[in-house]
Amino acid sequence: MERKILEFTNLLRKAGVRVSVAEGIDAFNALDELSLDERDVFKDALRTTMVKRSDDIPTYDRLFDLFWSGFHDALREQMEQALGGMGADFDLEDLLENLRQALENMDVDLSDFAQAMLSVDINQLEQLIREAGEGAGVANIQNMLQIGFFSRRIMEQLDFEGAGGQLRELMDQLRASGMSEEELGELGQLMGAIQDAVRRSVRRFTELELDQRNHDYLERFRRESLQEKSFYNLTEEDVRKMRELVNRLAQKLKSIVSMRRKRQRRGKFDLKHTMRRNMAHGGIPFELVFRQKRKEKPKLIVLCDISSSVSNVSRFFMQFAYSLQDTFTKIRSYVFVAELGEVTQLFRDNDIYEALDQALDGGDVINPYTRSNFGMAFHIFWRDFLSTVDSRTTVVVIGDARNNYNDAKAWCVREIQKKARNLIWINPESPGAWGFGDSVMDKYLPYCDVAEECRNLKQLSRLVDHLIIR
Amino acid sequence: MKGLKMFDTVDDVEKRLLDQGYICGKNIATIVYLASKLKKPVLVEGPAGVGKTELAKVVAQALNQKLLRLQCYEGLDESKALYEWEYSKQLLYTQMLRDKIGEVIKGTTTLRDAAEKIGEQDDVFFSERFVVPRPLMTAITSEEPVLLLIDEVDKSDPEFEAFLLEVLSDFTVSIPEIGTIHAKHIPLVFLTSNDAREMTDALKRRCLHLYIDFPEEAQELEILRMKVPGIDDRLAQDLVELIQRIRGLDLKKAPSISETLDWARALMVLNADKLDEAMVSDTLNIILKHQGDIAKAQTELSKLLQQKAAAAKAEQPQQVDPPVEKKSILH
Repeated sequence: MERKILEFTNLLRKAGVRVSVAEGIDAFNALDELSLDERDVFKDALRTTMVKRSDDIPTYDRLFDLFWSGFHDALREQMEQALGGMGADFDLEDLLENLRQALENMDVDLSDFAQAMLSVDINQLEQLIREAGEGAGVANIQNMLQIGFFSRRIMEQLDFEGAGGQLRELMDQLRASGMSEEELGELGQLMGAIQDAVRRSVRRFTELELDQRNHDYLERFRRESLQEKSFYNLTEEDVRKMRELVNRLAQKLKSIVSMRRKRQRRGKFDLKHTMRRNMAHGGIPFELVFRQKRKEKPKLIVLCDISSSVSNVSRFFMQFAYSLQDTFTKIRSYVFVAELGEVTQLFRDNDIYEALDQALDGGDVINPYTRSNFGMAFHIFWRDFLSTVDSRTTVVVIGDARNNYNDAKAWCVREIQKKARNLIWINPESPGAWGFGDSVMDKYLPYCDVAEECRNLKQLSRLVDHLIIR
Repeated sequence: MKGLKMFDTVDDVEKRLLDQGYICGKNIATIVYLASKLKKPVLVEGPAGVGKTELAKVVAQALNQKLLRLQCYEGLDESKALYEWEYSKQLLYTQMLRDKIGEVIKGTTTLRDAAEKIGEQDDVFFSERFVVPRPLMTAITSEEPVLLLIDEVDKSDPEFEAFLLEVLSDFTVSIPEIGTIHAKHIPLVFLTSNDAREMTDALKRRCLHLYIDFPEEAQELEILRMKVPGIDDRLAQDLVELIQRIRGLDLKKAPSISETLDWARALMVLNADKLDEAMVSDTLNIILKHQGDIAKAQTELSKLLQQKAAAAKAEQPQQVDPPVEKKSILH
């Protein structure tokens, strides 16, 4: 049992759940206090001591089932199937009772395994198969191709053939002792079905062992690769999963930011307030009061290209921005392809995801089905919305600057930058491509305080952290 | 008032909490039992309004222990959580000392002797007499076992968390001027968190973790019947079903159990005996606090009511017996 728990702990760790040694010990202490007859209690006890993040609970549940009950359930299912195939008027209890009586005055040599099959004892069978698995070294299984091999090794460990022979011998003896043909027929059929069930279960057992070892890699691989997957090749499924991921990253950033701010906020010694606070102590300054610096929250203006080539970057950036709303005094968002329109209101009225979807559809303010024209978009912004930019504003432009050979109107960007605290350009293309073809990034570049490539989530979250909210 | 004896088994926890009017699942009972046995704090997480704080309160009642509550907030520090020196008293004492100083150093001839004499009195100044204990210290120094509730620990600063560690792992408090104070009884500690901030691993490591989610339909119904006695059976069922559905929607703030109860009480006051659309629409703002959420819930509601009407129609002509479930013959 202890080995089994240690193994399970390792499995959790591999799946990315952080379990410390002390927590492992807690788990053992907890199990000492409980009776382990109930699977649920056992499961809760392990969880409460080892898994401390609610995000990890689904992983734990899945692994627990895989590790502790997966095989048990599979075996039960197989056996039920075997019994189900016995026909309507078959009575197992009856048969077993008769068999037991017949065996009492007979001297037969049956292995534990054969006995377990004969008495249809699932728990015993599970135990034996697990032991055989250990003997066969199934823990070393590495890939799909080895399933057949290890299944055979387990069958050998169980002495499956031998047990079959013993059962056949037993049938002969039963016939000699005068058991009815009808009952013998039933027994034969039952044993055949059970042997099939065991054969299938052993294979399933091996598969589950492999799953346990692979599960964690797959899961982590998926998450990590999603962070580094280029925005250009995201499937719809990916986008949905990303949503979750962005949320989590944003949460993380949020707590970092608040900590950072607090540390910076402590200002100079405040004589006036110190005196007031310490009047109660007769003016002797026991408690010192420090002035707090005013919170300098930036104002954020986001200009998002929503043409299909960039929409994913825009989507995730906006999600970040709005998840971090508290960090800014105000966020105003505009979308453009050729025309430019404000979608701030959209985010105010709707749930963030709905608003995102609507905004990426043009949000009823612009026509998304035109060809990109950055010059025109900047010109509209300069003409209509320049007054919203002030010296505390960070302007973020998200776009690939592929202008379809239109006029770039770089002077608009210059004017915007002049009024803003800084202007940051996030470009999903790598710098090598800037200025080539119809890209006019080179024309805008002189007026960007920062211009960065951003092609995947990892880059994006780093960018948000370093540039926008710092 | 002496505390009752500790819990014997998991079932005992479940039963005794039920006696206090708290319906808990097996998992909560298991963890409370483990906490009392292993003497480890419990970190309770979950959405707002699922009864996290309530759990601590009823456990205290079930054990007949005093509940000490420490509400966390931004800026909470040691002096408000652990102990504080009573400045004014110390000040008064200093002044008294000034008057008495002549008596104290009487008979000394050299400056060194005088300093020595005063030095002897010094310890009195920073003694337990001037310490004002705050909840954490009260819990530790209490003569009787108590239950300590650290509420909304996620609202506190990370610095505070670091200092909680000492208290929670060793149940000791170090006061530099006096020394380390050890707990007379190790109190049962509950920390609640709404996940506004992820707690550090170091803190989590020392705690048992309990995640309370919204209850299952059957359990919620049970809670509703217990807390709102006299509610019409049919109404209760419909209500819980609707609430469960609403939680499935993508809402800003899902309704919690306390809101279910409020709603049920409100409907009782309004003398409703079944859910009709008008009634529900008018009272939806009891369970949902955002305009957008209410709109969403309303569409869901009319869908549900339509389904119900259709089902009622289909059900009426004949009553089919449920199929007899075949007993499993396996053990």
